[in-house]
Amino acid sequence: MFASITQSAVLLAIVVSPLWTRSVLGVEFSADLTFNRDIRPILSDNCFHCHGPDEAQRQANLRLDTQDGAFAELESGNRAIVPGNASGSELVRRIMSADDSELMPPPDSARKLTATQRDVLQRWIQGGASWQKHWSLIPPERPALPKVSNPEWPREVWDRFVLARLESEGLQPSAEADKSALLRRVTLDLTGLPPTLEELESFQTDQSSQAYEKVVDRLLASPRFGERMATDWLDAARYADTNGYQSDGIRHMWRWRDWVIDALNRNMPFDQFTIEQLAGDMLEGATLDQQIATGFNRNHRGNAEGGIIPQEYAVEYVVDRVDTTATVWLGLTLGCARCHDHKFDPVSQREFYQLFALFNNVPERGRATKYGNSDPQIKSPTPKQQANLREIEEQLAACRAELDAQRPQIDEAQATWEKTLRDEPSRDWWPGDGLLVDLPLDGSIVDRCNPSGKVAANQANLTFPVGQIGAAAEFSGEQRIDVGDVASFGFLDPFSISLWVQPQTADGVMLGRMEEAADASGYTLQLDRGKLQLNLIVRWLDDALRVETTEPLEMNRWRHVVVTYDGSRAATGVKIYLDGQPAPLNVLVDELNQTFKTKSLLRIGAGGPGPRYAGKLDELRIYGRKLLAEEAEVSANSTPLHVIAALPAAERSPAQSKKLAACFLDRHAPASTAEIRSKLLELEKQKMKLDQTIPTTMVMQELPEQRATFVLTRGEYDKPAERVLPGVPASVSWEGQPSIHNRLDFARWLVSPQNPLTARVTVNRIWQLYFGQGLVKTVNDFGSQGERPSHPELLDFLAIEFISRGWNVKALHKSIVMSATYRQSSQMTPMLTQRDPENRLLARGPRLRLSAEMVRDQALAVSDLLTQEIGGPSVFPYQPVGLWKELGDADFKQDHGEALYRRSLYTFWKRTAAPPTMIAFDAAGRESCRVLQTRTNTPLQALALMNEVTFVEAARKLAERVLREENKTSQARLETMFRLVLVRAPTPDEASILSSGLARHLEHYRRRPEAASNLLALGESPRDKTLDVTELAAYTATANLILNLDETITKP
Amino acid sequence: MSQQLLHTLPTSRRHFFSAAGLGIGAAALSSLLDQPSARAAKSSDAAPGLTHFAPKAKRVIYLFQSGGPSQIDLFDYKPRLREWGGGELPGSVRRGQRLTGMTSGQASFPIAASKYKFAQHGQSGAWVSELLPHTSRIADRLCFVKSMFTEAINHDPAITFFQTGTQLAGRPSIGAWLSYGLGTQNLDLPAFVALVSQGTGNPNDQPLYDRLWGSGFLPTKYQGIKFRGSGEPVLHLSNPPGIDDSTRRRMLDDLSRLNQLQLDKYADPEIATRIAQYELAYRMQMSVPDLTNLADESASAIDMYGPEARKPGTFAANCLLARRLSERGVRFVELFHRGWDQHTKLPEQLPGQCRDTDQPAAALVTDLAQRGLLDETLVIWGGEFGRTVYCQGQLTPETYGRDHHPRCFTVWIAGGGIKPGLSFGQTDEHSYNVIENPVHVHDLHATLLHCLGIDHTQLTYFYQGRHHRLTDVHGKVVQEIVA
Repeated sequence: MFASITQSAVLLAIVVSPLWTRSVLGVEFSADLTFNRDIRPILSDNCFHCHGPDEAQRQANLRLDTQDGAFAELESGNRAIVPGNASGSELVRRIMSADDSELMPPPDSARKLTATQRDVLQRWIQGGASWQKHWSLIPPERPALPKVSNPEWPREVWDRFVLARLESEGLQPSAEADKSALLRRVTLDLTGLPPTLEELESFQTDQSSQAYEKVVDRLLASPRFGERMATDWLDAARYADTNGYQSDGIRHMWRWRDWVIDALNRNMPFDQFTIEQLAGDMLEGATLDQQIATGFNRNHRGNAEGGIIPQEYAVEYVVDRVDTTATVWLGLTLGCARCHDHKFDPVSQREFYQLFALFNNVPERGRATKYGNSDPQIKSPTPKQQANLREIEEQLAACRAELDAQRPQIDEAQATWEKTLRDEPSRDWWPGDGLLVDLPLDGSIVDRCNPSGKVAANQANLTFPVGQIGAAAEFSGEQRIDVGDVASFGFLDPFSISLWVQPQTADGVMLGRMEEAADASGYTLQLDRGKLQLNLIVRWLDDALRVETTEPLEMNRWRHVVVTYDGSRAATGVKIYLDGQPAPLNVLVDELNQTFKTKSLLRIGAGGPGPRYAGKLDELRIYGRKLLAEEAEVSANSTPLHVIAALPAAERSPAQSKKLAACFLDRHAPASTAEIRSKLLELEKQKMKLDQTIPTTMVMQELPEQRATFVLTRGEYDKPAERVLPGVPASVSWEGQPSIHNRLDFARWLVSPQNPLTARVTVNRIWQLYFGQGLVKTVNDFGSQGERPSHPELLDFLAIEFISRGWNVKALHKSIVMSATYRQSSQMTPMLTQRDPENRLLARGPRLRLSAEMVRDQALAVSDLLTQEIGGPSVFPYQPVGLWKELGDADFKQDHGEALYRRSLYTFWKRTAAPPTMIAFDAAGRESCRVLQTRTNTPLQALALMNEVTFVEAARKLAERVLREENKTSQARLETMFRLVLVRAPTPDEASILSSGLARHLEHYRRRPEAASNLLALGESPRDKTLDVTELAAYTATANLILNLDETITKP
Repeated sequence: MSQQLLHTLPTSRRHFFSAAGLGIGAAALSSLLDQPSARAAKSSDAAPGLTHFAPKAKRVIYLFQSGGPSQIDLFDYKPRLREWGGGELPGSVRRGQRLTGMTSGQASFPIAASKYKFAQHGQSGAWVSELLPHTSRIADRLCFVKSMFTEAINHDPAITFFQTGTQLAGRPSIGAWLSYGLGTQNLDLPAFVALVSQGTGNPNDQPLYDRLWGSGFLPTKYQGIKFRGSGEPVLHLSNPPGIDDSTRRRMLDDLSRLNQLQLDKYADPEIATRIAQYELAYRMQMSVPDLTNLADESASAIDMYGPEARKPGTFAANCLLARRLSERGVRFVELFHRGWDQHTKLPEQLPGQCRDTDQPAAALVTDLAQRGLLDETLVIWGGEFGRTVYCQGQLTPETYGRDHHPRCFTVWIAGGGIKPGLSFGQTDEHSYNVIENPVHVHDLHATLLHCLGIDHTQLTYFYQGRHHRLTDVHGKVVQEIVA
């Protein structure tokens, strides 16, 4: 009787309801009603909106999401629910009311109960209205194993849950898939790549009972496993190679991506995997790897748009972290509680901001860096770079030791040299390395670095009175020297300026490469209210850097000035030395985002929008590098060498001694010293060069003082209300849980065995990898609006197992693929298609279209194009020309060679213009966290597979592969081609379609050699010239067909 | 879609609706039917697809002007600004409202009057600037909404808000909603097409992003397909060199037979869908080149769109293409024209932007009207926000610029169910705040959907625990502008 009702309900549901499984699997028409299964969904959908957790929205002071609220006496004196007494319950009266003004839900609310739902509610109340906490918040317990009538079928203990369910539905599991299908399925699932023919051969000939397990163990141990599993984690972590938002400049997070691959391959336990990614930086003695791991929560987008209000986005970043973390680990849609108490789940707005507080303690800025990583970031050398660095350091130490050993000889030689100086009184010394502009200003305006350059003064009345060394140039606020197109710097270029100044007025531009116009860009060194100021400006106010000395310079007094900039784009990279000593600085603007390089010429006495300079300048030098503190000190010393040399050593100032020693080593050192010194300098250059290639990666860090967090009214950044401290939602908490003050506490809390959600959510997400959907279909929502698990006991069993086996990820994967449930044939029958089209009951194996990454990787693998290398910076494979350009100014530079054939998870991911074929095959957009898989079936997929160069080239290489085999019939070649892709032999029908197609292509290309060559010219991999063009083209066309088969892009 | 194909398709809901074309609005319809609510009743008399009442418009052409065109220099005539020009913007006007980081640090906020002449046009007497002579001529066909306002003050969030109803990424765009709700009228073409062009006024202006025509949390099949100005109009549309049409056709026949063998074996309805999708792909291969081939257009029909109409990828060429797409039943065509971000040197840049768009946009409206299509096509022209009355940069008649301004701007709408010859809403004398009939972005969306026969509160998609709408939980139809 029940069965027939259920069936007709199913049929009805098929016609009308996309959520039919919810009604089928949720509300069954059985006598024993369960609150979580049968009642809560009705209340949640229809009542919680006005009578739920959201206090602000709550009507009539009635709360139906808690037992206390639902059973309480109302203001009217009635009770919504009187257990055991349906007719005495106000709820029943209102849902049955014929009066529109009384009916619940209100007729204008777009919510309506069905007759069945009304009946179910009444029966439940009549039956005692037994209440349960929401199922996912009740900690899982190891369920008893159900009895099954076919105890032979289960292979994993938990298969019994699946079987029991099938048996209760009067269904049987499907037979085990054949070996080739099984091998293809498990290899794709565990590595994202197809099996090779050798692997097929070895599996098919292995008759032992462990044959399959051996395959599984081999796959789990393959480094391809980490790559395959990382792909889904990257979707969840919204990993990308650009910052997102409109400028969408590059960022560098691939070190984090490689950390994930490595952690998965090493089978890092999931609790550790969690802790290191959420709070690795806070672990005692955090290693470089543990810091890199925290990039998880820096993968969110960053807004670098000019003119944004940084506080607004600083809030968005934290919200993203909370949302993502809650979705990935807790399966909760916490984002809803940002603006108001959650409408359906027991999470208040206040609790949202308590979680917010945990992630709100990062020393970061609301405005992201436009091109590159935003702080906090760390240098993250690869293992190879770390080894190289160590090697250079060792050599450097050896050189230094050698110099120390030579110290007595050096001192002796210097003393001898010093005596000769007295005969050459005009000599002086300053750092020479990296010198770009050298203007002594001794009566002329010649740049000694560019003696043939055309330096011109626009006013002839420039005078050259006595200066610090020789003469100096004196400006009256009118003159301007045009030095020319030299000292051209951009925002990533380190540089230094060294000069003597004696100002006469408090405002004036000393030098710069900037037009004398209000909105000019470039750089200037100037006096502003007497303070010495460096400006690096792209656009004034929102793309600029301005730093000045805290104290004004005294007028009419000579000071030596060295300004250095390290190319870091940040004000912290600027130093100003006065008379060789670092001066305290004020940062006025620190928003440099793009290059300030201009075509304006270098000018002295002017060179920017301010007034021209009045005063003297002397010994002006500009370097294309950052001078060191010691060099600044030496540069500030104007005592000529011979004068220093004439002083007794004890009477020389430190700067004087350093200057003398530096000059000696630089120019007059004995041969053996010079050799070591040049080696040392060379090593230092090498180190600097290596240092520049070391990738940075964004990480989480904690501010020393907890940043105050407030509830934000309506979620708006500028509407702070009450202050909150870090914490977690009470509804997910348990008695005796440790208090949570920071991210590390929180991460540990997430993976505490008592946490009711983390293990369930995780095993469910992993289940989805194999079956295309979770046991809880809404993998992103374990709240009351999410779906109930199709197999609740199985979910709990797996969760408990996962925890008790030490969060062993590979063991979980293995358990799933070893199960009888997984190994079933995926063949459908009309009855099953009708009864359970989505395979929620698991009466067959999964048959699913491959993911975007697998579709491409498989084509590269079967054609032998795939590059095996793991990790490294992202690559730029084929992409239609101009895709980026038509949206913005970014230019896509396609890679060549091996980089074209890397696995898809290494493809450069630009968020605002993602790789189109990946998107066509439903890859996540990576703008925000995605854990729920979707699969569509569209004509764009067909167009890409038929016509995109990647797949046409793969077809050619696949054809070459089978044509290179000697002494084969065309039939045998076709069969090999087919088997390489589909891991099975073609049926006679299939073989005949393929052969007649091949014959047709042969005929076609024989008549059209040019068409054949055109087809074969596609793709950058060289064509095998030993093969006949006609034949190769015909096989290529056939391979193109095979790569387009539905079966090819489907897991069998 | 032939009956034949219908029969080969499976009956399961999921698979049934995943067949593109077949699901003419069917996806949203099913979402509706799922709800045991008033919605189902409403939809029962609406066919095909999801319409809640008789639609006025069947299609939309949205001429999106990316960057934020200056309402003060184009539509919102404020004569007193001339006398106030150069003076400080009174604090009583600004009321401490937030400014972008580009000008919030400015020491002063001098008023920049428009240097352009305004005149009234047509019977309706609409004010339009001299920069838009062609638009002026069709003023009586247009409804100028002068009281638009938005919440965001920077490009990315503001455009994302305009196109998806939310400032943050992740929600479906307007066209994706319509494609989900109404499906396509032409089985050989996508329901939603996006076209982009580069402004000549400001060639290095703000970029665009795929999410503006993306499907957000809706399945990707609802995303807009970007037709490209150069190369293939649709990515991977053409067969590779060396594969001609007949080879492809026969290959597809073989493919279909091989897939059918699998279908026989596995009985997986996805295979039937796959077969249908390859056929659709083939039909696109056949029909799209025809669409972009202008050989069937008379010279005068092309010329009316202006001198650039024959240059693929320009706004003019895109307007013509939009008409051809719309004629063929494409539900939502959206043009994105870049270059409207005049922070400085507005007088240098704005004329170029207007030259790009004025004649083609006016021609499109006229062309649709002449073909009798304007009544059923909604045409919208506008950007993501307006621009400030105060000057950014140096205030001279040749160099003045304007920052982003979310508090008021102008959008014009024509055709499909909108009152022509109307100027709606008013701003204050500084064109700073709306003083009458404010129209929020959500209201514009609600009105757009209304013209297509959709109640904006009823077009929903269940995701992450709740029913989402284009208008979130806001929006009201601007009844005063609906005909």
